[in-house]
Amino acid sequence: MKRIILSTIGLMAAVLFIPVVASPYVIYLSTEVLIMAIFAMSLGLIMGFGGMPSLGHSALFGLGAYTVVALSQYVSNVYVLLGAALILTLIFSLITGFIAMRNTGIFFLMVTLAFTQVLYLISSGMNLWGGADGMSTMVRANFGFGNIASSTGLFYMIGVFFVLSYFLLKVYTSSPMGKILKGVMENESRMTALGFNPKIFKTAAYTLAGGMAGIAGALYIYKNQFVSPELFSVHTAAEAMIMVFIGGYGTIFGPALGAGAFVFIENYVSSFTDRWSLILGLIFIAIVMLKRGGIIHLLSLAWNSIVRMRKKMFSERKRNVVEVKEEEEMVNERITKSQ
Amino acid sequence: MSFVLTNLLSGLTYGMLLFLMAAGLSIIYGLMRIINLAHGSFFILASYVAYTFIRSGMNFWIGLVLAVIVIVLLAFVIEKFLISKVQSSETDQVLLTLGLIFVLGDLSLWIWGGDFLSVPVPGILNFSIEVGEIYFPAYRLFVLFVGILFAVLLWYFENKTKIGMVVRAGVDDMKMVSALGFNIKLMFTGVFLFGAGLAAIGGVLGGPILGMYPTMEYEILVNSLIVVIIGGLGSWKGAFIGAILVGLVDVFGKLYVPTFSMALIFVLMVVILMFKPTGLFGRVET
Repeated sequence: MKRIILSTIGLMAAVLFIPVVASPYVIYLSTEVLIMAIFAMSLGLIMGFGGMPSLGHSALFGLGAYTVVALSQYVSNVYVLLGAALILTLIFSLITGFIAMRNTGIFFLMVTLAFTQVLYLISSGMNLWGGADGMSTMVRANFGFGNIASSTGLFYMIGVFFVLSYFLLKVYTSSPMGKILKGVMENESRMTALGFNPKIFKTAAYTLAGGMAGIAGALYIYKNQFVSPELFSVHTAAEAMIMVFIGGYGTIFGPALGAGAFVFIENYVSSFTDRWSLILGLIFIAIVMLKRGGIIHLLSLAWNSIVRMRKKMFSERKRNVVEVKEEEEMVNERITKSQ
Repeated sequence: MSFVLTNLLSGLTYGMLLFLMAAGLSIIYGLMRIINLAHGSFFILASYVAYTFIRSGMNFWIGLVLAVIVIVLLAFVIEKFLISKVQSSETDQVLLTLGLIFVLGDLSLWIWGGDFLSVPVPGILNFSIEVGEIYFPAYRLFVLFVGILFAVLLWYFENKTKIGMVVRAGVDDMKMVSALGFNIKLMFTGVFLFGAGLAAIGGVLGGPILGMYPTMEYEILVNSLIVVIIGGLGSWKGAFIGAILVGLVDVFGKLYVPTFSMALIFVLMVVILMFKPTGLFGRVET
C-alpha cells in the first residue's frame, strides 16, 4: 500500500510538472496521451490481469464519447455528462461482459469484436447523431470553479482522472479481488476448486475496465469536440491493444507508457508519410516476432542488470578481501611451523 | 413473391461466399488452434489481384486461377515466416494477424486506391435466366452452384478420403496424430494454404457481386467469424449452415430493418451461443 501511494504521488508530480516545461504542442499531445493512457490501462487490466483479450474495448470508449455528445445537446453540466457516460458504459459492459464471459480465449475475442461492429454499424447507419460523418459539439467542463478552456487547464483536468485511474487500478490489482482475478487467469480450474466463481471476478474486472474506458471516451470529447463511428472501429480497439503491448503486458503503468510512445510516434510518422497504418502493422509484427516484451519490461530488465552488476562488483570485492585474509593466515601458519 | 425469391438468391449467394471464407477459417482454427484474423485480407486481396489481371485484358477464368495462385503463395510466405513462429500463444497470434491486416490493407490502399472497384462479370455468364416473371442473374446462380459444389467436395474429402480422416483426427487430438507418425508441419502448411485458397476463390467470385473497397476486410472477417461461431469451430458442415443463415439474415435484414441488420445477425449469434456455447456443430472442448 505504501508503494502504491508513493508511486501515485510520483505520477502526480510528473503530471503537475509537464506543463511547466513543455511547449504548447507537447501539452496538446500529452493531453491525448493521458486520455489514451486511461483507455489503455483499462484494457491492460482485463488483458494482462484477467486474460481476456478484448477487441471490443473501443465499443466502450466510443459509447462514452457518444453519450457525452448526445446529451450535450440538452445539458452542459460536466458531472451529469461524465456520470451518464460512466453509468451507461458500466451497464453496457456488465451486460456484454456477462454474455461474452461464457466463452474464453478466441471465442471471447470474437464476441467482443462483434459487439463493437454492431455499434459501429448502428452509429454509422443512424442519422440521429450525424451518421457516418460524425458530429461535433461544444462542451466545456465546469466543475464549479469556472470553465476549463485553456489547454493547460484541460491537461490538468484529464491528468486528475489519469492519476485517479492509476491509483484505482493499483489498489484493485493488489486487493484480494485482483489477486483472485490473476489466479483465475493463471489457473482457472484451481481457483474454481478453491471455491471462487471465476465468472464473477472476471465480469467485475471487465465492468470496471469498461467504465474506465467510458470515462476515457467522455474525456476525449472534452478535448476533441467531435465524435464519429471511427471510434467503434476495429482500428481503435487494435490501437489500444498495441499500446498495451508496446508499454508492457501484465503491468498497470506499462500501457500508459505505451500510450505515450504510441501517440508521439504516430504524430512523428504522420508528419512525413501517409503510410502510418502500414508502419503500425509492421510494429505489431515486430513486437510479436522479437518477443522482448514492452518498454516497461525493457526498463526493468535494464534496472535489474544494473542492480546485478553492482551486487557482483560488491561481492567480488568481498571475496578478494576474504582471499587475501586466507592467504595471510596460510603464510602465517607456515611461518609458525617453520619456526 | 418474385421480390422474395430474388433476394433469397442473393442471400444464398452471399452465404456461399461467406462459406468459402469461413470454411478455411474454421478448419485452420480447428486443426492448428490458430486464429487467422488476416483471412479477410486474403479474400479482398484476391479480388484486387484478379481485378488487375482482368483489367489488363485477361480472361476472367485465367485471372481467377492466377489470383488464387498469388494468394496461396502469399499465404505460404506468411505461414512459413510468421504464423508458424507464434503457434503457442493466442495473444501473439491475435497481435500478429492484426498487424497483417493493417499491412495488407494499407498496401492495397496504396496500390489500388480508396475508390470502390468491381470485377466485371465474365461474359459467358452475363445474362439472366427468366423463370415466369422473375429474372435470376446467371452469375449469382453460378456462385451458388460453386458454393454447393465445394461443400460437397469438402464433405467428400473430410469423410471419404484418408487425408480427410487424418485432418478429422487432428481436430480431435493433434498430439496423438503426431505420435502416430504423421508430419504435422506439412499438414499445418497444407491446411493453411488450402484455407487461403478457398478464401481467394471466394474473393474473386465475390468481386463482381460485392466489389472492393478499403476496410471491406473487416466486414467480411466479422461476418465470417460470426459464421464460424454459429457453426462451431473446426466443422465444415457448421460453416455451411452458419453461412447460409448469416447470408439470409443479412440480405433480408438489410431489406426490412436497414439500420439494424447487423444487430440482427448478432442477436442470432448470441442466442445460439446462449444455448450452445461451442456453436451448432462444434465439438465439445475437453
